[in-house]
Amino acid sequence: MDQMTLAPARGAERAVSEAKIRLHGAGKTFAVRGTEVEALTPVDLEIGREEFVALVGPSGCGKSTILNLVAGLLQPSAGSVLYDGAPVSGANRRVGYLTQKDTLLPWRSTADNIRIALELKCRATPRREAADRVAQMIELVGLKGFEHHFPAELSGGMRKRAALARTLIYEPETLLMDEPFGALDAQLKLLMLDQLQRLTQHRRMTVMFVTHDLGEAITLADRIVVVSARPGRVRAIHEVQLERPRDVFKIRFTEDFAQQHERLWDELKDDIIKGTEV
Amino acid sequence: MRTRRAGAAADRDSVAAWQLALGAALLIGWEILGRNGGARWVSEPSQIAVKLWSWLGGSLYVHLYATVTELVTGFLIGTSLGILAGMLLGRSPVLATILRPVIVGLYSVPLVSLAPLFIMFFGLGLMPKIVLVAIVTFFLLFFNTFAGAQRIDEDLVQSLELMGAGRWEIFRKLVAPATAVWIVGGIKIALPYALVATVTGELLATRAGLGYLLSQAAEQFDMTSLYAVLLILMVIGLLLSEAATRIERRVLAWRHAAE
Repeated sequence: MDQMTLAPARGAERAVSEAKIRLHGAGKTFAVRGTEVEALTPVDLEIGREEFVALVGPSGCGKSTILNLVAGLLQPSAGSVLYDGAPVSGANRRVGYLTQKDTLLPWRSTADNIRIALELKCRATPRREAADRVAQMIELVGLKGFEHHFPAELSGGMRKRAALARTLIYEPETLLMDEPFGALDAQLKLLMLDQLQRLTQHRRMTVMFVTHDLGEAITLADRIVVVSARPGRVRAIHEVQLERPRDVFKIRFTEDFAQQHERLWDELKDDIIKGTEV
Repeated sequence: MRTRRAGAAADRDSVAAWQLALGAALLIGWEILGRNGGARWVSEPSQIAVKLWSWLGGSLYVHLYATVTELVTGFLIGTSLGILAGMLLGRSPVLATILRPVIVGLYSVPLVSLAPLFIMFFGLGLMPKIVLVAIVTFFLLFFNTFAGAQRIDEDLVQSLELMGAGRWEIFRKLVAPATAVWIVGGIKIALPYALVATVTGELLATRAGLGYLLSQAAEQFDMTSLYAVLLILMVIGLLLSEAATRIERRVLAWRHAAE
């Protein structure tokens, strides 16, 4: 990977790009012990090419359901989900999906886990090159010295970072992330956010990013989708008007950031209060 | 750290010393019992040793060869078929619904009671025992592999699918290693059963093998030979379980690392 100095100004490009992902009245109901439970009331949502979109909202509001629909792991019970204009059917192989659940293979070391995508036929990579890229990724997510540890020997935060590296290494055109940094300490989280911003800009990725952390959302996203408490529905969409590239370490202390944060909080607080009462 | 390790080593030494002493006491007790009129039933360790020594001079190898060949051949056939069937049915719900009841039904027959049937089918050579061992091993490996293949976390399957893995790649990188734990477990259980099946087959009708030696000795009331064969079988059993432990340690290194 060469250095990421060529990052394009994202906002300018988004204006001309068409929708990469489109949810068209897409809803999901589950049958739980005979009764229908609505996880997601039909939503309309468009994600532009190379756009970075954050989904925020109280827990259990259907944010993960939206990601699962885009990944093709769930089929919508209503409406449609389009990727590049075509309906998603079955596992969507053009997305990299970092789920909340830990899906590292327990019998593979950190390095072997991170390398796995490069072993697959569809991304066959020469051994030497694969080793180099794995080493770079391990450096990137700060797991140097733990290459040969098995997942069970790593902390929760380390496993999360290994899973992130495993997803980033094959540079999928679209990245779906479900609370990837929840388990990390504040310091490390900022470093990871910084790396994520660089990498996604440099590789021109489209990103859907679920988070609880409003600050995280404002720091990274072009737009923030506010999802309301169960059953989930899109309550508001905020444009984040902050220049790119952003300094993830300092932007939190700017006036603009504070304003964005306040607006977003006003939007969310009713739902959060409602969510905690339940 | 160092003193603790030294302490553990000393502990191990004293345990070994006690075990040796216990073994010696048993042998001496046995010898005394034999020399004081019990020889008709329990023979004597010294005579058993002489017997073993003379067998090792030549006549034992035919029988040892027959038994080991039956055991190893049957075990390898049964293991491969069991793993194959377990994986196929474990990963294919349709096949499993159709075939599993059949397999469970067959397994309800006490397998050793099939021995006379195989002897009629295949004669007195090695074949009937190989088939018997293969069948016993097949079932044990099948049930273990099947359970393992069924319990694979679908989230792991999905994560590989999203990366673009094909069916075969999912099998190689996920199903096979994830089932390895269960397969090794099956092998550990199956090895002693395979030995039982071999010897049982040989006891019924055969012209060579340790089971044959055993039944000959019993017919002639030759207690010394009888105990000598039992000792050999015990050694084989110990070697098998040691082999199983080594396989386990190799294949499941990642599990030990986690502990």
